[in-house]
Amino acid sequence: MIAATTPKVDWFALAPVLALLAASGLALLGAVLVPRRRAHGVGGVFAALGFAVAFVLSALLYVDSGEARNVVAEAIARDRFAALAQLIVCGAGLLAVGISWSERPRVEEHAGEYYALLAAAGAGMAFLVAANNLMVLFLALEWFSISLYVLSAIRADRVESLEAGLKYLIVGGFGSAALLFGSALVYGSTGELMFGRIAEATRAQGLESDPLLLAGLAMVITGLGFKASAAPFHMWTPDVYDGAPTPVTAFMSAATKTVALVLAMRVLVAAFPQLDEFWTLAIAAIACISLAWGNLAALVQRNVKRMLAYSSISHAGFMLIAIAANNELGGRALLYYLIPYSAMSLGAFAVLAARERELGRAVALDDLGGLGWERPLLGLSLWVFMLGFAGLPLTGGFWGKFLVFSAAVERGWTWLVIVGVVATAVSLYYYLSVVRALYMRSDLEVRLMPAGGSPPREGLLQAAVAACLAVTVGSFFAVQPLTDLAEAAAKQLPF
Amino acid sequence: MRGPDVTWYLAVAGTLFATGALGVLLRRSPLIVLLSIEIMLNGANLALIAFARAHGQEDGQIFALAVMAVAASEVVVGLGLIVAMARRRLDLDVDKLTALRG
Repeated sequence: MIAATTPKVDWFALAPVLALLAASGLALLGAVLVPRRRAHGVGGVFAALGFAVAFVLSALLYVDSGEARNVVAEAIARDRFAALAQLIVCGAGLLAVGISWSERPRVEEHAGEYYALLAAAGAGMAFLVAANNLMVLFLALEWFSISLYVLSAIRADRVESLEAGLKYLIVGGFGSAALLFGSALVYGSTGELMFGRIAEATRAQGLESDPLLLAGLAMVITGLGFKASAAPFHMWTPDVYDGAPTPVTAFMSAATKTVALVLAMRVLVAAFPQLDEFWTLAIAAIACISLAWGNLAALVQRNVKRMLAYSSISHAGFMLIAIAANNELGGRALLYYLIPYSAMSLGAFAVLAARERELGRAVALDDLGGLGWERPLLGLSLWVFMLGFAGLPLTGGFWGKFLVFSAAVERGWTWLVIVGVVATAVSLYYYLSVVRALYMRSDLEVRLMPAGGSPPREGLLQAAVAACLAVTVGSFFAVQPLTDLAEAAAKQLPF
Repeated sequence: MRGPDVTWYLAVAGTLFATGALGVLLRRSPLIVLLSIEIMLNGANLALIAFARAHGQEDGQIFALAVMAVAASEVVVGLGLIVAMARRRLDLDVDKLTALRG
């Protein structure tokens, strides 16, 4: 008998992922064992518990990871950078469960699967941000992507939902394949899969201008661009955001963006420090295209969900500036920005989900008329989220943009700041047109939407929106403690 | 016995990947598009295995095995979606999927 030598597994580092996986499994079991009319409640409670437990575990992991180190045969990075991103993902997941709860009559048939997939996607995301190896990166990326493909199409009774699922799958699969081929080229050039060792091999063997490595890096950036929905790899975003059930869109827009950008920063900084002249320029170019395209396309949208999809593309552009800066301030800016951005994005889509249910159709800008007066909490929140997206003070969006721009200045790229400022100015137009639709219209202009009786009671949805509002405004006032957390996390990357 | 140089394997892998990419961009049946994505993944697999042999390691081969599992699950989801669309008698043509636009 030959004793197999297995790597030592640091279970604590994997705990958030395992908690979410357990929740996913329990929700799935619940779907089978519990009578159908209870399945929704059971699934929702398990998913919420999973996200809550994973949130606490990530917080403990953050506190405990003062020293960054690689665990489980160096495949997983156990550091604060990953833990902070996991906190954002788990928070987004918890709020997404709250937003989904009111979809009850619509997802009843697949309730157990819905929550199981939500928790599974969360687990994949928590795994991805800790990836320290190209294999783990690809597997985790596909893990949460496949869950999201199904979630987008979960309302199989709607053509739009199916179409969104198929489009996401095809474009997402294309992006993953590009990422995989890029990984293969990087492996071929350096002979290594671990991020840190790729950097070492590049330095030791002088591969700085190896065409194989450069082509591989370019394809890895392309693949990550697809996942982060950065232009010109964004074409799936408006359709998928529009067609997927709105609570799923809310979760995707916040969590997918978080993990894709956090991972992009980790892999570029840790694995390709010698090629930084190439990738900082590439990322800066993608950021500019995203800012331009996202903002200009958002200007002409009448459907609010599509408008927010383009707005999310432009926000990918802002956050890519932080990555392109390639300094510690950029890491701090990215991690901080993701906190209010996730809250605003989740909250805005949650308000849209509520309005959609009231009207029974997609929400156009005109359909927001009167929402500010009819449902004061939702109206006020949407107002604040829009101001936050635009980066006005009293919301965390302001400090997010401020930090991103300071990172670009520190790098010496003032031109990137100018592009960002112009993009912000353009974005004001469409963000404020939502506020105008909410409040500033004359009686003659407003066609009140008769929704049949008083609005439905959606306690959990309102609580989730209130929480998003609290985070959006709170992150403005708590900027110091939050940037301290982000700074401690960014310090652990080898800038 | 020594086989051909790793460059040849890389050339075949690149051709496979490009074939798949063209298929995704040009073909209109979602089934063929799914197939093309598989060809892209398998091109990458071939490159991984060839490089693993060239470097004399197992990492790339393990990676390729894992990719096969992933590719299978992706196809399962894709076929499931296509069956759901066929049941609703939707046209199986990606150019006619235009319920979402703007």
